[in-house]
Amino acid sequence: MQLQFERVAKSFGDLRVIDSFDNTIRDGEIVALVGPSGCGKSTLLHMVAGLQSATEGEVRADGKRVERPAPERTLVFQEHALYPWMTIKENVALALEFQGRAPGPAREEAREWLGRVKLDGFEDYYPHQVSGGMRQRCALARAFIARPKVLLLDEPFGALDALTRMTLQSVLKELIEEERPTVVLVTHDVDEAIYLADRVLVFSHRPARVLEEFTLGHIPKTHDLSAFADIRREVLTLLGIDTQAEASQRQTEKGDVQ
Amino acid sequence: MSNTATGVASKRAYVLAIAFILFFWQVAAWFLPSFLMPDVHVAMMRLWRELGSAEFYHGLGNSMGRLGAGYGAALLAGIVLGLVGGTLNAVRSTLKAAIIILQSIPSIAWVPLFLILMGFGNMPIIIVVAVGAFFPTALSVMNATESVERVHVDAARVMGASRLQMLKRVYFPAVTPELITGAQLAFGNAWRALISAEMIVGFSAGLGKSLAYSGEIADMTGVMTNILVIAVLAAVIDQVILERIKYRLLRYQYL
Repeated sequence: MQLQFERVAKSFGDLRVIDSFDNTIRDGEIVALVGPSGCGKSTLLHMVAGLQSATEGEVRADGKRVERPAPERTLVFQEHALYPWMTIKENVALALEFQGRAPGPAREEAREWLGRVKLDGFEDYYPHQVSGGMRQRCALARAFIARPKVLLLDEPFGALDALTRMTLQSVLKELIEEERPTVVLVTHDVDEAIYLADRVLVFSHRPARVLEEFTLGHIPKTHDLSAFADIRREVLTLLGIDTQAEASQRQTEKGDVQ
Repeated sequence: MSNTATGVASKRAYVLAIAFILFFWQVAAWFLPSFLMPDVHVAMMRLWRELGSAEFYHGLGNSMGRLGAGYGAALLAGIVLGLVGGTLNAVRSTLKAAIIILQSIPSIAWVPLFLILMGFGNMPIIIVVAVGAFFPTALSVMNATESVERVHVDAARVMGASRLQMLKRVYFPAVTPELITGAQLAFGNAWRALISAEMIVGFSAGLGKSLAYSGEIADMTGVMTNILVIAVLAAVIDQVILERIKYRLLRYQYL
């Protein structure tokens, strides 16, 4: 599903969060939105989901103006979006039940999807009984089970520790390769953006404007992102991180090891 | 494990409290003449005899029927109004203010109105019980509905939930913990309303009527026996039945 942003702007009262954003995301493309906190990238994502509306301009999905949420455009939240009163399996099945599927077959399919995110054996646990990483695996299963055409991810792994985050990035990448939805990912993690996305948009402070666009193309990647060191450095510099100092520090650390 | 530990501790607290209350009653009975305050064992003997009489069960059945009808209707209406009112931003604050005002009226004050409106019978008692139980239920559900987590609502919308599905699958389970607290509060109100309405209205047999009658004929053993029954029943319903339902419904929290 193709997504088009046409002069999209958003204000909350006098506060202008997004200023005339124009972009087209091709069908099956994976785009990461990176930028400082509170710059309005989550707001953009919520507009695509249909949870918020633009003050000016419009968001279109396959040419049709987005006005309300629809299961074909699903959103994965940062955390706490699972229902604590339902088991892992019931949470995943709910996505199908909301679309009119009977609970029996919905739970059967949920079980399959939980297998795909390596949660077999945890189907009947409640969310508070499993780790944060497992909860986000469940959230991914709940998003993918509806076979969305657009997958929106709002800092999905932001609350996880670095190692768990990388494991989940791999799980997510695999699911995206198999299902091929159009993906928009909002993240603070530059490595996550480079690892997952075909294209990275770097945003400025409020009101959000695109500072730079990096097209990586849809190429196989591993967590060894050394081939993308230049892009990584450029993105970090745009975000105001002093890469020079960081580089020299890393040099000394290497020296220490040797 | 801490749950069973607190369970044992609270059981011990209950046993101690009951012993304490009975002790004070007995002390009063030692100092007062027996036609004013009967001994604990005398009231217990009377209760034992009552438990063997059909008349007692007839009155008990009447009272429980009224309680069930009034309390049940109030729970249902309170849940529906609380959920709907809590999700409608336009009416919420007005509705809440109205409930807070009406709630401050003692339920027993409605008796003359409903007695004349509906005539002598079961109905005015049931309505008064329902009025007493309705407000705390509706208020707790409405407050809880208001504070359902935004992300839980958004997640359901993204998954394509209809309005009815949203109420049934998201709002209702999300407010259940507060609903139960409200329902226990409502039970206290309903129980007080039931006994006082029965004492005033005095329509056919019932716990309240039996108590009022014992008072009228200055049968203090009868009075104390009735009070004993009222206290024990309330404790059993609240601490055993409602607590068990609470545990059932909120099982996921105890795991």
